[in-house]
Amino acid sequence: MGLIQRRIESAGISTVSISILRRVTEKVKPPRALFLRWPFGHPLGEPGNLAQQFTVLHDALQFLYTSSPGEVLDLPYPWRRYEYSMPASWNLRPTSIESEPKAQ
Amino acid sequence: MNNSFRQRITVLFARAFTRWPTLGRLWSKVAPIKVSADIPWIPMLKSLSDSSVCLITTGGLHMKADVPFNVDDPQGDPTFRLIPSTATQGELKITHNYYDHADADRDFNIIFPLERMRELKAAGVLYGVTPTHYSFMGHIDGPHVARLEDEILPVLLERIRSEQPDFVFLTPS
Repeated sequence: MGLIQRRIESAGISTVSISILRRVTEKVKPPRALFLRWPFGHPLGEPGNLAQQFTVLHDALQFLYTSSPGEVLDLPYPWRRYEYSMPASWNLRPTSIESEPKAQ
Repeated sequence: MNNSFRQRITVLFARAFTRWPTLGRLWSKVAPIKVSADIPWIPMLKSLSDSSVCLITTGGLHMKADVPFNVDDPQGDPTFRLIPSTATQGELKITHNYYDHADADRDFNIIFPLERMRELKAAGVLYGVTPTHYSFMGHIDGPHVARLEDEILPVLLERIRSEQPDFVFLTPS
């Protein structure tokens, strides 16, 4: 999958991915990846757990703006026994853009 | 060894790998993976509320009406399937023997967060979701790797570009 990601970024489009095998990701070197030490087949968590799925999505989308080239971010969430809440803010933007109102 | 026997063995391994991720991590230590030198890099310049996403999964997901992935080829299936942004749980199916997808069968969002992205768009968090998304099976080997790189990815890139996403989100299985 890292190969596909690298090709898309090389074609001029920003990419971010979830990794479930850190060692493979470290070798393939995709531009941005977030590592979760979770079972295969569950990159966003458990079925129906919206708070968990949105938490991973939020962290991934935020990482689009905060990552440096080739960075693999370790997410802190254990597979079981963790209480998720919905992300508080989705106001994600490049640091160079201040939060001025959008031109209409 | 006939194909159905080999498939049963593959499914058993897949269940073991899913249940005990340590097995997968042990494999990843010895897997013959080429180490890349450079890192392609395109910074995200737009805010999320001005950006559109395209999704890609390697979880073997496809529309039920579409041709399933070829799980009989021991070197995998390098082709991809199109998934429209309007796809619903009932229209999708997973054909993949290399991981236990019982949970993803119940909620495809855990490998392909299309509904979650649609919800973010509806909430104004995200500007858009491209009309088309893509699914692979992953786990390709032998001559299929070159076929993927030389024949299939150029077609994929052309299709992705035509719908102008601001970023692509990729999920493994």
